[in-house]
Amino acid sequence: MPSGKSSKAVRNARSVVAATKPKPWGTVAAVLAVLVFAVGIFGYLYLRYDERRTFTPTAENKDPSAQIEGVVTEDYSHRRGHVSATQRVAYDHFPPFGGPHDATWAACNGVVYDKPVRNENMVHPLEHGAVWITYNPDHVTGDALQALKDRVEGQGYLMLSPYPGLDTPISLQSWGHQLKLSDAKDKRIDQFIQSLRLNEYTYPEVGASCDVLPSAFDPANPPPFVAAPPGPGAVPLDYSSQSGSGPMSGAVPPAAPAPGGAPPPAGGQPAPGAPPAGQ
Amino acid sequence: MSPAPRWLHPLVAGGAVLAILLLGASLGMLVQLPGRGPAQPGAASVDVGFSQDMSVHHRQAVLMAGLARERSSDPVIRSLAFDIERTQLEQVGRMQGWLSLWNAAPLPTGRYMTWMTDAAPMPGMAHGSDPGASDPGAAGVTTMPGMASQADLDRLGAASGKAFDVLFLQLMLRHHQGGLPMASYAATHAETAQVRNLAQKIVVSQTSEGEYLTQLLAQRGARPLPPPT
Repeated sequence: MPSGKSSKAVRNARSVVAATKPKPWGTVAAVLAVLVFAVGIFGYLYLRYDERRTFTPTAENKDPSAQIEGVVTEDYSHRRGHVSATQRVAYDHFPPFGGPHDATWAACNGVVYDKPVRNENMVHPLEHGAVWITYNPDHVTGDALQALKDRVEGQGYLMLSPYPGLDTPISLQSWGHQLKLSDAKDKRIDQFIQSLRLNEYTYPEVGASCDVLPSAFDPANPPPFVAAPPGPGAVPLDYSSQSGSGPMSGAVPPAAPAPGGAPPPAGGQPAPGAPPAGQ
Repeated sequence: MSPAPRWLHPLVAGGAVLAILLLGASLGMLVQLPGRGPAQPGAASVDVGFSQDMSVHHRQAVLMAGLARERSSDPVIRSLAFDIERTQLEQVGRMQGWLSLWNAAPLPTGRYMTWMTDAAPMPGMAHGSDPGASDPGAAGVTTMPGMASQADLDRLGAASGKAFDVLFLQLMLRHHQGGLPMASYAATHAETAQVRNLAQKIVVSQTSEGEYLTQLLAQRGARPLPPPT
């Protein structure tokens, strides 16, 4: 405003005249006011801007989990064959987070499984957009376990189960993504769920359900976890429903090490209590 | 009153510079903040045409899958049918929601696939399709590829036991294959990122589910129907 400016100039001129050493408190106050205003504006916009960079997937930020420290990823987009209830899959990670799976998916609509469940059923819900939280039952008990249960029970597209022999206390899985953690209070749990649960850009079967046909899968009595290694007859990761003539023929391709240069999973599932070699 | 200390001037100058920098940065963020979504797709757009036509196509899969979920005595078929029914109905919900937000009609009037204007070579089309047969051009078609006829549906409704399972698998496989050209066209031509993404997911998951359907047919000693035209 010209009038304000000029009156200030007049005041400044007067003060220069009045005192040999000017006391520019007016200028200090003005700069301070502008600075406070600028900090306020900047702070407000930064918070709003930062929100956009947080963990909600968008067309511009398809996989916000890339910002989360410790997330391991694999591309399983072409390794999605269906196996039968009697087959095993030679998974390359434990717990597995992608690859061929049982045609019947485990219920993932906020189900807390008290007992370990068969891998092949638990991988299928990941393809449907669910996040699977696992814990080592020897190390996560009491309040920490209750915190995990509270987080999952009744929530859409989440499931929780114990995983014997897990090499960290807690591990989170979504399709092609895994994060291993030691603390049930770690804030990365929420970040992982927010980034990947029903993330239409990262899970293959957009729109698929977490509910199950009662005749196909009973959440109260799911197929049990098998600790023993899957053995040489296991279905390899690159098995597709087209290769071979299917599970009924028994002509399953021989087990092969995981493609993609990953270290071969020594015998598959590590023995309970024995942490697998490497990460 | 003591005179202004020596350090005051640089401090004030620094404060002023900082304020200017902060305001500049704020302006920069402000420019980026408003949602820069694309303009609403128009009535003739790929986005609208795909959402309308695929809604129709999906609903027939939902119909057949619902029948199989109720009727089949094979748990494998029932579970598969339930999966297809739920997934495709959910996807219909997405497409209908978009159409509502775009103020577009929920269903197409007249011919299908008129939005596939440069569909001469159709990448991702099931092999064995003979050129011209399913090439809609901008003129559109009266029946989309892979759709079961009323006679097909009547036969399915009358079938039972293993014959029902086989016919269901055959019709569903052909239905999946028939939807691929539309989905792969939309996956590359739609203007909205979410539409392109859904179309691409349909291509990939219906292709892999098609392999599974083929496997289930083989296990039952049956063959697929001729690919859709």
